[in-house]
Amino acid sequence: MQVALVLSSLGMPSLVVEKSSALGGRVPRLSRTFPFFNDDGFNDGKEFTDSIERDLRATPLADIRLSTVVTSLRGEFPNFAVELSDGSAVDAGAVVVATGFKPFDPTSLKEYGYGVYPNVITASELEWMLNPRGPTGGKLMRPSDGKSAERLAIVFCVGSRNRRIGAPFCSRICCSYGTKQASTVMERNPKALVACFYMDVRTYDRGFEEMYSLAQERGVRYIRGRVSMCTQLPDGSVGVRAENTLLNRPFSGEFDLVSLSTGMRPCEDAIQLAQCLGISCGPDGFFLCREWFRHPHDATRDGVFLAGCATGMKPIRNCIIDGAAVAARVTALLRKATT
Amino acid sequence: MATVNLAPTTIKEIPENDFFLTPSCILGAVNPGTEVLISRIYDLLGLTWRAAGDRAESQCTCCTGFSSHGDLISIESTLLVTARLWSIAAELGLENITTACVTSFAIHTECLEMYEHEPGLHERVDRWLQQACGRRLQIPKHVVHASDIVYRYRNDLAHKLRYRLLDHETGRRLRVVDHVGCHYAKVFPEKAIGGAESCDVLAGLIRAWGGETVDYPERRHCCGMGFRQCAIRPNRGYTMACVLKKLDSMEPWQPDAILTNCPGCNLFLDKEQWAIQQMTGKTFDIPTLSYTELAGLLLGWDPYDVVGIQAHTVPVEPLLDKMGIAYDKSKEWLGKRVAGGT
Amino acid sequence: MNSESATGKKILPADLVSKKAEELDQIPDGELVAAYESFRDHEDAESGTYPNISRLYGTSLEREKDRRETRAQAETCNAEMQEWYEKARNEPCTWWLKNHLVAKHALKSCIACGVCTAQCPAAQYYPEYNPRTILDAALTQNEERLVELLKSDTLWYCGQCGSCKPKCSRENNLMGLISSLRFLAQLKGYHLCSVRGRQQYAMRHLCGGNLWNRACSLYFRNITAEGHPDFGPRYAKYQSEAEAQMVRLGANPDRPGHFGGRKLSPQTLAEFRSCLACGGTLVLWNQLEESAAEDATKNGISIDEYHIRVHREG
Repeated sequence: MQVALVLSSLGMPSLVVEKSSALGGRVPRLSRTFPFFNDDGFNDGKEFTDSIERDLRATPLADIRLSTVVTSLRGEFPNFAVELSDGSAVDAGAVVVATGFKPFDPTSLKEYGYGVYPNVITASELEWMLNPRGPTGGKLMRPSDGKSAERLAIVFCVGSRNRRIGAPFCSRICCSYGTKQASTVMERNPKALVACFYMDVRTYDRGFEEMYSLAQERGVRYIRGRVSMCTQLPDGSVGVRAENTLLNRPFSGEFDLVSLSTGMRPCEDAIQLAQCLGISCGPDGFFLCREWFRHPHDATRDGVFLAGCATGMKPIRNCIIDGAAVAARVTALLRKATT
Repeated sequence: MATVNLAPTTIKEIPENDFFLTPSCILGAVNPGTEVLISRIYDLLGLTWRAAGDRAESQCTCCTGFSSHGDLISIESTLLVTARLWSIAAELGLENITTACVTSFAIHTECLEMYEHEPGLHERVDRWLQQACGRRLQIPKHVVHASDIVYRYRNDLAHKLRYRLLDHETGRRLRVVDHVGCHYAKVFPEKAIGGAESCDVLAGLIRAWGGETVDYPERRHCCGMGFRQCAIRPNRGYTMACVLKKLDSMEPWQPDAILTNCPGCNLFLDKEQWAIQQMTGKTFDIPTLSYTELAGLLLGWDPYDVVGIQAHTVPVEPLLDKMGIAYDKSKEWLGKRVAGGT
Repeated sequence: MNSESATGKKILPADLVSKKAEELDQIPDGELVAAYESFRDHEDAESGTYPNISRLYGTSLEREKDRRETRAQAETCNAEMQEWYEKARNEPCTWWLKNHLVAKHALKSCIACGVCTAQCPAAQYYPEYNPRTILDAALTQNEERLVELLKSDTLWYCGQCGSCKPKCSRENNLMGLISSLRFLAQLKGYHLCSVRGRQQYAMRHLCGGNLWNRACSLYFRNITAEGHPDFGPRYAKYQSEAEAQMVRLGANPDRPGHFGGRKLSPQTLAEFRSCLACGGTLVLWNQLEESAAEDATKNGISIDEYHIRVHREG
């Protein structure tokens, strides 16, 4: 959305092609955004995406097609012929890929019991549960019996930083969103027991370290050790096993709810999209940029550009910044090409 | 209480016939009937199998697994000993090794993997093997554990069973804990049916033969055999503690039996129950059987003459009563002493 | 098989069975071995069994014979791995980590995530045991720290179950590393510095004796009721008729066959011993004997008394 918005402000017309039936990607489900929570001007993710969408729909230069995908891309920069799944065809000077990401599905990591033990959920499910618009009105509950969940374990690095499963990379934002979630829970219920199991706390961006200390001040416990397995006790509680590596002792604890902070994967149809658009992906599956420092938004085909999480995970604010950068680059190139 | 079925994801290639069977040290020492039963099951299924040498002149050495994990033998000696067994198998025209012991399975697999990781190893071991005993290194096509074979044929066996894992009076499905040997599932998880976390090699048998599996927190915990930990008496507290931990954890589910595929697990999960009872007062009395013993019992083979339940510390007869399997208790002991004393 | 007078010497094997190691000192190697073998190979024609095997098992005579044979075979064996291990004994620990077949593939890098220790049954049982720190010591390549590790009891707590192996985020082989380091500890004689390390002498004759004489790591007569009171009275009862029960179940106690307790052909035993020797294992066993003899002398006890002590210490 940001790309289209900035393009409009530069006088460039654009067509936003969205695969799902709504704009905003995964942001609308977020119960709040970090690192400043309510102080950043939006009460939750949907308020934020709504504000951009409002502005976007207000500009005549941007056109929006929902529930549509690109089916073919022919021609060359700056004269592409694009075919869409609704049967229509469009001429375009450039194409921007902003297809985002997909959260890792932890079902395949059997040691955590996701999909088998009802009280083991993913961070996305936790997020929706924390959202007042969500299924429990923002209350933390055990799916197994509906009782209030007082003891929450948040497991970092699920599906990332693990060579064994073919995912050696770090997904960058999970430490941050996990800290945000933990902090939120403690803020609402100071009597809760919330423990984050980490290997490193990579809350690296501006304001993130402050968010981390705030979480700790609120009472979130951080235990340094990767969770090796989850087990189910007779009453449905979940046993969590890790090593407390700062104390050099094995740790074993029982929780009402365990949230797996899943890492990220490229969007579902990244490979098909790459083929359709004639661009390449890197070994981690996200799209490749042509040159790391000078042209980080250029895909490997002339005239195709990349924005947002399509090139790898980043926080929302960085996606917005990215969008503006790509819009400027596209505008500059198109103007040069058509003069 | 709800039991959980974990769907297996690893697909393992299991050969269907023509096996070279290697025996187990622990089974041979304390549960001898168990491995003989493997050959009986192969015969029942009409499968071709051979062991090293023939009855008159045995060539069956062990794989040195127990000694290897007991830190007494060099890896190169282990490579040579397994290579010798493979050479005998090749002489017999057999390319599928089935081991009676899970540690053997991991040892053979480890040797196979080493030839892939270490450049030039194949040529060196071949040379040493010729020097040691005039044999050549021949890599087998498959190395599997005998329980893989029983898993593969579990439905065929199901058709032949006279009894099922059911309470014969109430029809209730018996709850059976599946305890898979660590060296089967954990050391090379991609070579285990269902991988390390949701291993199905025993759970599949339980389901196929009428019973119900049990998921409890310490399900994947080691039995504690520990090689040198169980062999040297002052260390055996560790073994006992591991067994107790598992028994405590499974107790809320009131299992009717424990099923194993590892000689060490079969030994210690059974035998330590007595010591635990003496030391803590806790009586578990959960009969512990290997997959071959269970198959033999359900097939209606004689519990004492063929299956050998008398070798167990926790009496198995109550389980037989539950299933309605007949037995003649007077056959248990023979009243003959070991020649020359122990 | 051979009769007692085959060698023409006037040795009475039945006498030797009850002798202690120091009493056998005077008997030359060749005669000792021949006497043992002739006694062992005496076949009871009627039953087709070898009744003297059980009389020889676990005696000072068997252990002394093993000692002598192992030394002799190592001396005459011209094996590449034997030389390698002799050399490795004098190299630093850091050299071993780079060159030993298991150690060199066992370690890549470690993020100290702790999943190995989280799962480790030994870490849950022994309060001071932490397997991750063993990997850490190896990765630091610090010779002093490694030597300290090899001299400690810590190295010996691992039960070699492999619970750590399927978990490691960086695909290390901690179980293999520990096994490899234990071998080195014995090779350098450092095992003498810890209670658990000294137990390896007990293992040398328990499993080592079984391998040398029966080509099998365990033997049914090892698992005595007296040595395993934790197994209870039912086991004691079974063990008292073990041989008969084994025959009944299809096993082969002290006789030819495929299954438990089998007596192997001399050809097989010779091939097996060659495999052990060519793989360099005898360097380890000879070192264990040397270390034990040294430690026994230091403590003013006989080798047989030392052997009993290391079985019980701890």
